[in-house]
Amino acid sequence: MNIHYEFPLEEAGYAFGFLDEYAKKEVRRTILKAICIPGYQTPYASREMPMGRGFGTGGLQLTLSLIGTNDTLKVIDQGSDDSVNAVNMRQFVQLTCPGVEVTEKLEEATLIQSRHRIPEIALTETQVLVLQVPYPDPLVVVESSEARRKIMHAEADYSRLLVKLYEDIVHFNEITISHRYPTRINRHYVIDPSPIPRWDVPKLNQSPALILFGAGREKKIYAVPPYTVAEPLVFDDLPFRVEDFRDEHGQRRACTRCGATNSFLDEYSDDNNIKIYQCSDSAYCDGQLAQHQQREGKA
Amino acid sequence: MSDIQTPRASHGAWLSPMQQQIFRDLLHVFSYPGRVAECTADSMTWLALLAALTDGEVTLADPHGLIAADIWPKLEARSGTPGKATFIVADGGRIMDFQPCTGSLESPETGATLLLRVAALGEDLDGGVPLNLTGPGIQGNTELFVSGLHPSWLIARAGLAAFPLGIDLLLCDERRFAALPRTTHIEIGEML
Repeated sequence: MNIHYEFPLEEAGYAFGFLDEYAKKEVRRTILKAICIPGYQTPYASREMPMGRGFGTGGLQLTLSLIGTNDTLKVIDQGSDDSVNAVNMRQFVQLTCPGVEVTEKLEEATLIQSRHRIPEIALTETQVLVLQVPYPDPLVVVESSEARRKIMHAEADYSRLLVKLYEDIVHFNEITISHRYPTRINRHYVIDPSPIPRWDVPKLNQSPALILFGAGREKKIYAVPPYTVAEPLVFDDLPFRVEDFRDEHGQRRACTRCGATNSFLDEYSDDNNIKIYQCSDSAYCDGQLAQHQQREGKA
Repeated sequence: MSDIQTPRASHGAWLSPMQQQIFRDLLHVFSYPGRVAECTADSMTWLALLAALTDGEVTLADPHGLIAADIWPKLEARSGTPGKATFIVADGGRIMDFQPCTGSLESPETGATLLLRVAALGEDLDGGVPLNLTGPGIQGNTELFVSGLHPSWLIARAGLAAFPLGIDLLLCDERRFAALPRTTHIEIGEML
């Protein structure tokens, strides 16, 4: 009798992490090349996922290729752990990766998949951030042919993109890009940093953590390695600036929930149609709130 | 009954959980050039790394005949010439006697990944040549000590092509490995 024999599991229709090993290996090889060529959109064979392209399949394929049983995953969508996209992604990973822990606390996570935000608290070297990307190429607004765009990227020729930014200045006296701000990585490739607000762009620069970008529909993976120069595209006489959260009196607006004055704020209207502001990063807001409560409890 | 060996499943380089772990170590060393990772698989370091990376989609060159004939089918990779292969495994102690692919301007990712077997490497190593490293992934600068690496590899790496073209190196000793991606600037120091 073979004492090591195990009955085949009826439900074991999928490999750990849903993707088959060949798909994972291809994504892994692509990730390593993307790190070696910072900011370069490395092509890969994006697999069919059980959800529509454009719902974060690129980020999910990265996460599933990276994840192992000793990982702790945090999934956020627009800063929140509880919005639809984040909840669905988290459930899918829990379903297909038995043994993987999930968390809402940033400091517990080893892997963070995010849509449109970089967490408020700085990442560490033990963490990897995966961002979901709808449109990977910043040059698409000035050049429709991908073959020509690839040559422009290779030669670091961003003159037409700079002209586009200059036209904004001529029309509006300011570069009017609110999110997806073109950012130059390691002084060569310009990336579309996914639809993160301007607020998050400086966090790409010299980040202790590796940041990976996955565009499932466009079949591209790119990376900003740790401790790498990431500069938003600007002109010498018009410096880059992040969102301004000051009110008409010049006072920095605070989060109505936790009172933080150092976070990215979302604008809502309450029942009386009055504008209120709240932290976009829900885990940060919870953390601040808990700190306040602790302090009040002690006092 | 006692002579039945429990399979060393957790250490086999051909099994997917191990390959995932090795990949995460690879991710770490490529992200932070100069840092050294320990190979936990029960096979030679360079072979464990290859096992985690290759399948039927890649070409693999073995100019110094390091891979045994019975290993090739397990790696699944197609055999290629050193000038064209995507992965090359070689003896770093020997002089570099071929010219690897550095990719094209439009597709720099086709530049080869070289796995070089060296005598020893470490973040601090007696008798090793110090490599002073700067570039992405390195805060300021860092040092990696290597022994048993012919300087021709490092000279060729710097002289073959300019960024974004180039080759990416993985140095492997008996148990450890470190990466030198194409973005890393290397200054060879004096041997201690």
